[in-house]
Amino acid sequence: MSPEIKGRVLAVVGAEPSPTRTAVNLRNTLLNMLAGVGGMGAFVVFALFMSDSQLLRLGGQVSPQQHLDRSIWLVATTAGGALGVAATAVWLALWRGRSMLGRSRRSLLYGSALIPISLFAWKVICSLAFGYPMMAWPERPGLKCLALSLLIAIGPLLAFLAVRRKAPVRPALNGASMGIAAGACAWVAVDLWCPVASVPHLLLGHVLPLCILAAVGAVLGDAFLSVRSHHR
Amino acid sequence: MERYANGDDAAFGALYDAIAPRLLGFLSKATRDAAATEDLLQQTFLQMHRARGSFIRGAPVMPWALAIAKGVMIDSARRRRLEFGLFRHASAGDEPREYELAATTATADDVLDARRLGERVQQQFDALPETQRSAYRLVKLEGLSLKGAAQVLGISVTAVKLRMHRAYVALRGALREAVEP
Repeated sequence: MSPEIKGRVLAVVGAEPSPTRTAVNLRNTLLNMLAGVGGMGAFVVFALFMSDSQLLRLGGQVSPQQHLDRSIWLVATTAGGALGVAATAVWLALWRGRSMLGRSRRSLLYGSALIPISLFAWKVICSLAFGYPMMAWPERPGLKCLALSLLIAIGPLLAFLAVRRKAPVRPALNGASMGIAAGACAWVAVDLWCPVASVPHLLLGHVLPLCILAAVGAVLGDAFLSVRSHHR
Repeated sequence: MERYANGDDAAFGALYDAIAPRLLGFLSKATRDAAATEDLLQQTFLQMHRARGSFIRGAPVMPWALAIAKGVMIDSARRRRLEFGLFRHASAGDEPREYELAATTATADDVLDARRLGERVQQQFDALPETQRSAYRLVKLEGLSLKGAAQVLGISVTAVKLRMHRAYVALRGALREAVEP
């Protein structure tokens, strides 16, 4: 080994400060808190603005169907199950185990595919089990839920990407997995707000955002998580 | 790496000494270009330096370092639009090859035969797809386990075995052709 090369490498590395483990842990905690506050803030603002009373005040019309009440047990069961799936999704996307290279391709692929399926299936099963009407709501096709999901999830997705910073292998797949995780977190919030349980509405307003977020995550992951050389 | 991740900057020298020879070997075999190798080695360490704070306690360093080196190498080759050309530019007069060292005590005919055989195998190795060469290099030359190589390449262990097998078959064929009259 040439000492000259070592000298050059040491000089280059010494000239660039890098955060230590303590600093990174602190930064990650702050980022996660910021993402949580941002997501909840987006939810509160959106839910308040789009509530029935607000719509009426603004001159909008509220369909009688929109007043269909859900039992607290249905809401708690649905949201509780969704919360468990969302926690699994976050664990899958961010936890790397004992390897700096993260999860295998198979785990990421299957995990990312199973999360939306599980959320959708849980919602349908709960609605059926509680005898909740899964009728079509023509005046609510799911666009509001789609917008709300994307609005809530974008903060957590950016935070997840910032927390992970680099993925030397499978950056796009890791990014997609983070998109799914952020979408799953948004699903829980949207599920608390939205009483509609018809399948077309769920597919458009609740499942589609997860697919969009996975695609966005894959693009962002490939752009920001992959190892890039740089030439000065 | 643990000490370095915790903020002990002086530990970088020890980290460099521990992994640089293997990284240098990996990069030089892939690029066959001393200047490019040095540049890529520097960038690999720079990437590790930037990511030191996120290093997981107890995680193996070498697969991570090799994965970064591979990423940096591929990106560098992409940037220069020499993704494949870079690996095929075997410059003449590089470091002595193994068959030359082994043949120093043999007769002139043996040396000539060994040289021809080595060249034939080297040509065949160069002609292999990069996917097969990477798998072969990591397992046979870098000494990584199949699982470690699979992690570095981002593929399954089965895929590594398959690539290794294909590389073996091709090299065995080249050897047979060279040995048989």
